[in-house]
Amino acid sequence: MHRTWLVARREYLHNVRQPSFLFAAFGTPLLIVIVFAIAMFFAWNSGEGIRDRIEAGEYRLGYVDQAGLIPEDIPAQDFSEEHVAHPEMFVRFDTPESARDALDADEIGAYFVIVDDYVQSGNVELYSYDTEVTGPLERPISGLLNASLSMDLDIELPVERITRPIASQGLSIFTLDTDREVDQRTLPALILLPMFFAIVFTLATQITSGYLMSGLVDEKSNRMMEMLVTSITPMQLLSGKILGLGALGLTQLAVWIGGAGIVFVLGRDLPVLENAAFPLELLLVAIVYFVLGYFLTAAAMAGIGAVVGSEQESRQYAGIISLVQFVPYFFLVQFLNNPDGAAPVALSIIPFTAPMAMIIRYGLTTVPMWQLALSMGLLLLTTMGVMWLSARFFRWGLLMYGKRFNLRTVWAVMTGRAEVGTVAASGKEA
Amino acid sequence: MQQEQAIKVRNVNKTFGSTRAVDDVSFDVYKGEIFAMLGPNGAGKSTTIRMILDILKPDQGSIEVLGGPLNDRRRDRIGYLPEDRGLYRKVSAIEVMTYLGTLKGLSSGEARKRSMELLERLELAEHADKKVQELSKGMQQKVQFAVTVLHRPELIIIDEPFSGLDPINTLVIKDLIVDMRNQGTAVVMSTHQMHQVEEMADRLLMISRGRQALYGPVEDVRRQHAIHGIIVEGTGDWRTLPGVVDVQPASGRRNGMLLRLADDQTPDEVLGAIAANPDVRVDRYEIAVPSLNDIFIMEAGERPDDLNGMDGRYVEEMSHA
Repeated sequence: MHRTWLVARREYLHNVRQPSFLFAAFGTPLLIVIVFAIAMFFAWNSGEGIRDRIEAGEYRLGYVDQAGLIPEDIPAQDFSEEHVAHPEMFVRFDTPESARDALDADEIGAYFVIVDDYVQSGNVELYSYDTEVTGPLERPISGLLNASLSMDLDIELPVERITRPIASQGLSIFTLDTDREVDQRTLPALILLPMFFAIVFTLATQITSGYLMSGLVDEKSNRMMEMLVTSITPMQLLSGKILGLGALGLTQLAVWIGGAGIVFVLGRDLPVLENAAFPLELLLVAIVYFVLGYFLTAAAMAGIGAVVGSEQESRQYAGIISLVQFVPYFFLVQFLNNPDGAAPVALSIIPFTAPMAMIIRYGLTTVPMWQLALSMGLLLLTTMGVMWLSARFFRWGLLMYGKRFNLRTVWAVMTGRAEVGTVAASGKEA
Repeated sequence: MQQEQAIKVRNVNKTFGSTRAVDDVSFDVYKGEIFAMLGPNGAGKSTTIRMILDILKPDQGSIEVLGGPLNDRRRDRIGYLPEDRGLYRKVSAIEVMTYLGTLKGLSSGEARKRSMELLERLELAEHADKKVQELSKGMQQKVQFAVTVLHRPELIIIDEPFSGLDPINTLVIKDLIVDMRNQGTAVVMSTHQMHQVEEMADRLLMISRGRQALYGPVEDVRRQHAIHGIIVEGTGDWRTLPGVVDVQPASGRRNGMLLRLADDQTPDEVLGAIAANPDVRVDRYEIAVPSLNDIFIMEAGERPDDLNGMDGRYVEEMSHA
């Protein structure tokens, strides 16, 4: 165990200082933050026009009060500074149809419907031809609701309506030209975060197990392996490497998720991230899948790395493994349309695609417990099987050079009939 | 010999498929000796070494290392320099030495200290912080050797220790090996450089086609292979001398001739006859003791399918220098 620890420590300390690791760990999130910031800048600016017009008193916002909450006279002093609104901007309509007519006639820029069960649900529907209305209009709407609710009405109010006039994810936006509901509030929480996690965790798995494989191929090709075999057993070497590089992967994840956390905190004021709660549960599920998925990938790559002769050859095999892991990504449309459909469910249970598929699904739908248990159980079993198999290949392939292995030798190794040293004996020297 | 055994190999067999790589080999290696393992390529040397190191398991026979079967604690008392060897290329020499030292059970401080001492002795101290790939091939070889002996093993097994080294560095490594032998370390050396074996080794084992061809003290082996004859350089018809039954050129000597003598003829008598005979003049005269090189070629060449005239040409050179 002591030797395993020494190998693990060496692998960690050596690789954590590599420029390629530092770039992947810090460069990638930095890049994401920059791209995100640019996107946010444009999103923010696109709402500027409406905000300016509200302040200039030129913007009119219609509303239909199905809940019967808004009094005829809205007292101006009840609007606070942060709501960026004033009583004159609101125009009352009795029916959605009349509001729609006014919108079509360009008398108002947008209108919102305070639905029947608003008091309980906190749901408000916003209609506009402009897709960029959420940012600038959400605050005035909150302001109006706040001002109305704070007037002494004989309504029994749930506490959260006062603290939060519009429920979290309660604002539905309908863009009228397509008549399709675009729920911008739910975008980051439901799609962006699971996607972010799925990609980040899969990348972390691949980067670290890639280190594992190239390290092994390197040790083989520069004959370091020969120097190591009398100091440590193949199993100590293998497990030390897997543990050390696993820790490296976790470090990378910590940096990335820390970066995401910073974006989250900084982006609090941005409409896309406002009210989106950091999904701790999703994070936990993702970490479990990362650990299992990492051991599976690492074991597979170690087995391949011990057998193949060159860096180039090893990359081809690594490429195939990566491709399989990213298969769920190609089914993204199915995931978004129906996360409980056949393909998403199957992909989230098949061990090699499960880590990515399950993380995406977990963010989009409520995954049944049995599916989660089946997926994790299968993944665990497969991981153990692959590790066992890899260990066999590892022992066998450690000191083989310059031989391309074929199906027959693969079968012989798997069934335990291949002999270590076969190649050495028939090769140059026995 | 009364010394303590470092390796005890008894009737070991190893077969790969239909090839018998090692066939009934038995030998001992003692502490405080340099033991040479010889044999042509593919003879079974590496397989034997790998069985000693427990990388391969013998099909039959037993192997004891440092008093018993190889385990982790005994493994720490062995230093192994494989023929195919290398180090991490992008790591400094001192770092890779320290790491490998800790894998042999040294603390990292101790490993570092000893590494510096060894690098000092190998005149590499100023290169300690250079990456391995920045070192010359000879320097890398010396670092690899240093790694092998860093933990002061009681048994070292070195495969072709001098390959790639210039004469000066060869001498440095040779001194180190002899020093270690003198301090009681058992040294197993596998090499094709016969003159090194002649100069350094106490005993030898030669394996040919998996079988034990020669085994024993170097001097005994050479004496056993001595032929009844003399080597002369000079002019005249050597056939006219009494007791000379055959004359042929001596290998490895431009003007030397090997004179085989009749069984009842001593070399001294032939020398006397040469002195008394005005028709022959001798510049140089020596007893024909074969070099290990000749013995090697003879033993390795003594195959039914390989009778290519090697036989009988073994000859000469008491001291090759």
